Amino acid sequence: MNRVSLKLSLLAALVLWTTPSWGQFSPQAACQNGAAPRTSIYYVNGVTTTLDEARLNGGKLEMEFLTRLPAMPANIQSSCYLFFLNYNPTSGAVKDFTEAGQQRLGINPSDMWRKLETFVSLGPTMVSLLQGPMTQTNQIDQAAVQRHANAYRAQLTPPLCRRVVVVPHSQGNLYANAAYDAAVGPSPAPAPAAGALKIVGVATPDTLVKGNGRYRTSTGDLLIGAIDVLLPATLDANTNWGPNPILTSFTPLYSGGHSFMGYLSFDDSRNQILSDIQSSLSEVNAVAVCP
Amino acid sequence: MLIGRREGTVGVILLLALFAGCGSETSSPPTAVASSLAGTDANNDGVRDDVETYIDTAYPVPANVDTNKALRQYAKAAQSSILDADDAAKSITHVTERFRALECLMARRPTDFHPVFVELRARMLDTNPRSEAYLKADSQAAAVNIPLLPADQWVGACI
Repeated sequence: MNRVSLKLSLLAALVLWTTPSWGQFSPQAACQNGAAPRTSIYYVNGVTTTLDEARLNGGKLEMEFLTRLPAMPANIQSSCYLFFLNYNPTSGAVKDFTEAGQQRLGINPSDMWRKLETFVSLGPTMVSLLQGPMTQTNQIDQAAVQRHANAYRAQLTPPLCRRVVVVPHSQGNLYANAAYDAAVGPSPAPAPAAGALKIVGVATPDTLVKGNGRYRTSTGDLLIGAIDVLLPATLDANTNWGPNPILTSFTPLYSGGHSFMGYLSFDDSRNQILSDIQSSLSEVNAVAVCP
Repeated sequence: MLIGRREGTVGVILLLALFAGCGSETSSPPTAVASSLAGTDANNDGVRDDVETYIDTAYPVPANVDTNKALRQYAKAAQSSILDADDAAKSITHVTERFRALECLMARRPTDFHPVFVELRARMLDTNPRSEAYLKADSQAAAVNIPLLPADQWVGACI
């Protein structure tokens, strides 16, 4: 067995150990009922996340949620959940990042792609590239913010009349917060019902979650930890990836403790994020949309 | 955050040690044709030969036929993305194809699709021009709302 195969085998073993096994997913029962309410769950990616990774992260969120759904209260199971991606364009940042990584660390392109998640979190060498885009709203793409806000508002208002829960990761939290006010504001008419949009932040570099939303940041998240040193108002860490964050942040693909895939692969963070989503769904489900 | 920061410092040290043990996994220098944007595709199936060799070696058929086919589906879509990165409309089409391939992969490998994907993409984006073309294709499609299939339909995304 060569080194690559050995690494993949070890990683697969660890993933299998930490991840519940899924069967083939059946259609949600509520989705077979045209009269059942629809609730939209959006994933918003962070910086240095390509479209492919964003799709996989959204898929991971959907799989974990659907695995947990049968254990949720009946009033939550009675809704049909639809999953969407609100993409935060990051190809420019990835290009800068990979170039800097190669120049500063002397790593070939393939290895750069293998370790992209890790490099994102690696101390001052890379954090300096991300600090601005990760924390300053004037450095995020305003066209994307408006596009996201329009998407949420379209879900919340006629003819769709759906509740919305947004799950942003990393810099995506800035996008979700920036889009929130435009999505729920009074104009253009009709205004969405108050409280029908909730945010559940993951690995947030921000100082708040709009709409009294929830968030989870790991104590082992090196990138958010570094940002917190520079900007102490950053929301404090409140979860972890297992009893020993060092061991889990040593997992090759998820090292650095920042990846969305890692947050949804290890407990306590996975359980707590899903619980936050469940609580948020209970809140939005209590709102009469399009009364 | 103090506990996390101290653990983080130790983590960085461990990670650097890890990288030291993760040297280059690439083989001998490729020829000019092989290292061109398109690379070589002797059987003209849309999948670069070196990528095809990797897929067949890591996931041999018939034991891994579903994974093998899912990865070929992604590799073909990604190769098209790389070659058509200057064309916005084609880029959107190819990103959509990549999404279907990834949904197929998630259906086939629900517990380890991520490391499987990361290694395949690393093999495909083994030069700077290929990496830049892949990112350019992403930028062409970044503002487009590409529909996602629900999890119960992912198997149907497999070609």
